[in-house]
Amino acid sequence: MSTKLFELLLQASIYTVTISVVSILIGFAIAIIVSAMLLSRQRLFVLPGKIFISFFRGVPLLVQLLLIYNLLPVIGINVPSIVAAIVGLSLCTAAYQAENLRGGFASVPSGLVESAEMVGLTPMQIFRRIKAPIALRLTFPALVNEAILILKASSLVSVVGIVELTRMAQDLAGSTFLPLEIFASAGLIYLAINWIVALAGGLIERSLPGVPR
Amino acid sequence: MMMKAKSLLTGLVGAAFLLGAAFSAHAADTLAAVKAAGTLKVGTETAFAPFDYIDAGEHTGLNVDLFAEIAKELGVKIEWVALPWDGVFPALEAGKFDIVAGPATITKKRMERYRFTPPIAEATIAILKKAGDTTISKPADIAGKTIGVGKATAQLDQLKEFSDTLPTKVDVREYPAFTETYADLAAGRIAGVANSLPNIAFVASQRKGTFEVVLPPFGKKSYFGFIGLKDADHAPLMDAIDAAMLKIKADGRMAELQKKWFGASFDTPDAVKDPAF
Repeated sequence: MSTKLFELLLQASIYTVTISVVSILIGFAIAIIVSAMLLSRQRLFVLPGKIFISFFRGVPLLVQLLLIYNLLPVIGINVPSIVAAIVGLSLCTAAYQAENLRGGFASVPSGLVESAEMVGLTPMQIFRRIKAPIALRLTFPALVNEAILILKASSLVSVVGIVELTRMAQDLAGSTFLPLEIFASAGLIYLAINWIVALAGGLIERSLPGVPR
Repeated sequence: MMMKAKSLLTGLVGAAFLLGAAFSAHAADTLAAVKAAGTLKVGTETAFAPFDYIDAGEHTGLNVDLFAEIAKELGVKIEWVALPWDGVFPALEAGKFDIVAGPATITKKRMERYRFTPPIAEATIAILKKAGDTTISKPADIAGKTIGVGKATAQLDQLKEFSDTLPTKVDVREYPAFTETYADLAAGRIAGVANSLPNIAFVASQRKGTFEVVLPPFGKKSYFGFIGLKDADHAPLMDAIDAAMLKIKADGRMAELQKKWFGASFDTPDAVKDPAF
């Protein structure tokens, strides 16, 4: 396989990485809101949060992408391919991340919170200094895991017209008749990206404040 | 309670329609919209050589050259959107692009729903086999063999129709794109590929010693055209594209492109009114 083909795969993987990273970040922002809704004492907020999670966790990502790309125009919202891809991945990962965060906040030992109340910390201080750091520490490994899952799931966005790593590999395999070399290279690129994500995740995790080991 | 739910539903449906109408109102004349944007959006799949394919990462083929000429005639630029073939028609209807390059075989069923441009090539179906495969020397020899074909294609329908006339039926294997059928044929997983003659003639010429065309083509004579929407909004745009294509055909540019990509030019009618199937 020529270096030109490998370069093309690397170029396509820029889409894979960019779309995944942007989606993970947007998804995390949405997940914070959704998990707050789930943990709210107001039933008015809990139900929409639950519906959001059931839908985006229950419908296959491929179907979500096609819905966003082909069905939204029916109500007048015609999004370009790249937007459809990011919206689809973000909403999907938001549902999983929200569940993780909810679990993380629910696992904060109630004794810690009660002690903090006893020494007179305000609810805001308790959230910032006790709940949020511990929940983040508890959910961080799951967040790294989710990032890796989304990087791999991004191979689905070719159905809305994005030529990312998997699609480029398919196109090149089709035109060069070198499927073995090309798919092996694509696999190695995915592996390298995810290895970097896992490594970076491990480093960040060690520097996080929270429950000491 | 019942009444309330019902009126709420009516309200929602009404609101959705109003919203849809408000957004679609400004898209009434697509030709004006395309000219104003300066871009004609063209949807296609990039796995249908020699019409649209990826050559070492570059989107190339007859369609790319032909749409470059059409763009010159209309005074606009072309923006390509590459989708898997079975996603191309839903996306056309969703307004993701103005026209589908594909091209697609002109069939009665498709003409009921879509509008075709003047044909750009013959689409009559033929078989591609592995070079040196002596078990297939004429189309009827594919009886009982496994033949690959693209999913949701007119070639699939033609192959099935042909299969029904054979003593033993063909084992039809459907693929998301034709490039995968060629890969499987090269790997020996299937005995042949059924696709339109221009396509397989191109593939065979690119991979001499690997593939061979089984002649003659079989089934009814058919043609390839580009596909647009049939509604009144799209009529001015489709009229303009038709006119541009007929001009390109009349001054010999079309024949030149056919020679470049198929090795021969085709005599095609200006319009297909009554397709064979």
